[in-house]
Amino acid sequence: MNVLVTVTEGATVDDEFRIDGLAIDDGSLTTDLNEWDEYALETAVRLAEADLVDEVVTVTIGPEDCEGTIRQVLAKGADRAIRVWDDALERSEMLDVGAKTALLAAVVETEEPDLVLTGVQSADEGFMATGVSLAAAVDYGWAAVVNALEVDPDERIARVRRELEGGVEERTEVDLPAVLTIQTGINEPRYASLRGIRMAQRKELAVRSLADLGLEASAVESRLRLRELAEPESESEARVLEGSSEEAAAELATVLREQGVGR
Amino acid sequence: MEFGLSEEQRQIREEVRRFAEAEIEPHAQAYDVAEEFPHEIVERAAEMGLTGSYIPMEYGGAGYSILDTTLIVEELFAVDPGIALSIVASSFGCEAILEFGTDEQKARFLEPVALGEMISGAAISEPDTGSDVSSVSTTAERDGDEWVVNGTKMWITNGTVGDFFVVLCKTDPDAEGRYNGFSQLIVEADRDGFSAEKITGKLGIRASDTAELVFDDVRVPEENLVGTENAAFLQQMHFFDQTRTAVAAQGVGIARGASEAALAYAEEREQFGRPIGDFQAIQHKLADMHTKTEAARLLTYKSAWKVDQGEDITRLASMAKEYASRVAVEVANEAVQIHGGAGYVNDFPVERFYRDAKITQIYEGTSEIQKNIIARELLGKGL
Ligand SMILES: Cc1cc2nc3c(=O)[nH]c(=O)nc-3n(C[C@H](O)[C@H](O)[C@H](O)COP(=O)(O)OP(=O)(O)OC[C@H]3O[C@@H](n4cnc5c(N)ncnc54)[C@H](O)[C@@H]3O)c2cc1C
Repeated sequence: MNVLVTVTEGATVDDEFRIDGLAIDDGSLTTDLNEWDEYALETAVRLAEADLVDEVVTVTIGPEDCEGTIRQVLAKGADRAIRVWDDALERSEMLDVGAKTALLAAVVETEEPDLVLTGVQSADEGFMATGVSLAAAVDYGWAAVVNALEVDPDERIARVRRELEGGVEERTEVDLPAVLTIQTGINEPRYASLRGIRMAQRKELAVRSLADLGLEASAVESRLRLRELAEPESESEARVLEGSSEEAAAELATVLREQGVGR
Repeated sequence: MEFGLSEEQRQIREEVRRFAEAEIEPHAQAYDVAEEFPHEIVERAAEMGLTGSYIPMEYGGAGYSILDTTLIVEELFAVDPGIALSIVASSFGCEAILEFGTDEQKARFLEPVALGEMISGAAISEPDTGSDVSSVSTTAERDGDEWVVNGTKMWITNGTVGDFFVVLCKTDPDAEGRYNGFSQLIVEADRDGFSAEKITGKLGIRASDTAELVFDDVRVPEENLVGTENAAFLQQMHFFDQTRTAVAAQGVGIARGASEAALAYAEEREQFGRPIGDFQAIQHKLADMHTKTEAARLLTYKSAWKVDQGEDITRLASMAKEYASRVAVEVANEAVQIHGGAGYVNDFPVERFYRDAKITQIYEGTSEIQKNIIARELLGKGL
């Protein structure tokens, strides 16, 4: 059985930031492996360590800059990586879900994984749709916001637990092949070990262009256009609670209840 | 000339930094106050391979160079020197086994250390033997196919938590010449006649374990001899370039941690209606601290790089060790000054850096000894 994990490099915005036209100023961004993908990767690596999976492959849509992040993923236990990039993508203003789906679907068609794991969302763009959209495109089963997973390779079933609103949990079985979008907290992601970092340098990192994937530039044209990026007006009010600890705590409890926290 | 780090080295540095910030920093104050060895953190560090970075892959390590190890040491010490030492010192003594040990010794001792299943130590100093290593008086006598060890070792890092120690012993009391007649023996902590007593009340690096070891007719098998009988002094000296460079890296880490903390504080703390970083007196301190740290780092990198090239660099390693440890002490001092009263209590890490920095001028050869060595090399005098 093989697993494909989609991995993206996400940007987190510093507390103080500057908007520069349609983008956030580079100086106020820190890029790193997208938090959700870290959990998806860990899920895949654990399946491999339990001998339920033979190969863990990752796929990343992104320019050469993100190879550091891809090596980090290889260091944490992926067997090989694919990076998809093309001049046409470089030129495109925005990669919407449709474009990402087209690229990832092409990779799924060549790799034919039994299981595709994606993060629930990316921290920077937050469409929360890539995984499910991909499942539809390649006609795989799917389950979203998975926070526990058991795979039965013989029965070809993934048994998943999903967290619903209001403290309800749902157990679902999905036939393989399937796409699962993984929620944070499903496991405790590891640090890359020093040995892992060392071995990662020698693992395969293949770069694929649109042509390699058999796609035309039109396949990744975006139907979305970014029009404006703005910081919402925010009003903040600070209140200092005075008095003894008991009084302040009681006061705090009242305030929180008024704001709808707790019951 | 190439000053950049490789992609792999940058990755090591980033991942170790992530580890240190998430796993060490939140607990640093508590372990310091309790003077407690951070077993849980050392175990997590071992999972990542930090306990034996230079141990070869075949023995469970990562096989990293001295320069790579320098990067790791700096990252860890920049967050908390006490816990950092507990992690990096968990393989103390293993360098001798790696270089001079038998295959059997390597399999038996290096692998468990690399995997975090065992902690080792290096026992050289004694109550009456510090700077003058040639005055070691712990003895080991042959008795059939065993060695019988007697004596006391002092200030031994990992003394009460270690599983085995590489112990410098006098094995030929009649040997001619000050540097002859010593051997290194591996003594396991569970041997009869071995005892260790923790030394408390240290000024700094209080999470790191330090102890006095007593050997009372401790018997170890013949095969615990490391390398050549009676040649241990030269064997020991072989590692000074490497171990002194490592202490230099500790100094760089402490200096960096302290100078970064001071910079952040200077930007935040306001007096007379503006951040104290607006005052030129503070700016000049910050400029000096960061410049010295960078200079110490370059000296240390060069020293590490030369060790990796297999060059003999007695003078350079001593320069790096002496300079970086001095910078650590000076920079930590200024960092406390910049924090004012807040730097005098342990709410901020600079108070710890100030106390922790001092040890780097004492162990692995005091600053005076390093200067003696540098001068001796300059003047072309022998040992
Ligand atoms: C926390 C801690 C951990 C340690 N860990 C270990 C360990 O794991 N293993 C181990 O073997 N040892 C360890 N040590 C011991 C350490 O290496 C010694 O303390 C150090 O070598 C100095 O020896 P000493 O304390 O006997 O000082 P001394 O040698 O007595 O020195 C006292 C002073 O005299 C000066 N001095 C001595 N000789 C000369 C000279 N020729 N010229 C000029 N000045 C001189 C010294 O520089 C110093 O200022 C540790 C020590 C500490 C405090």
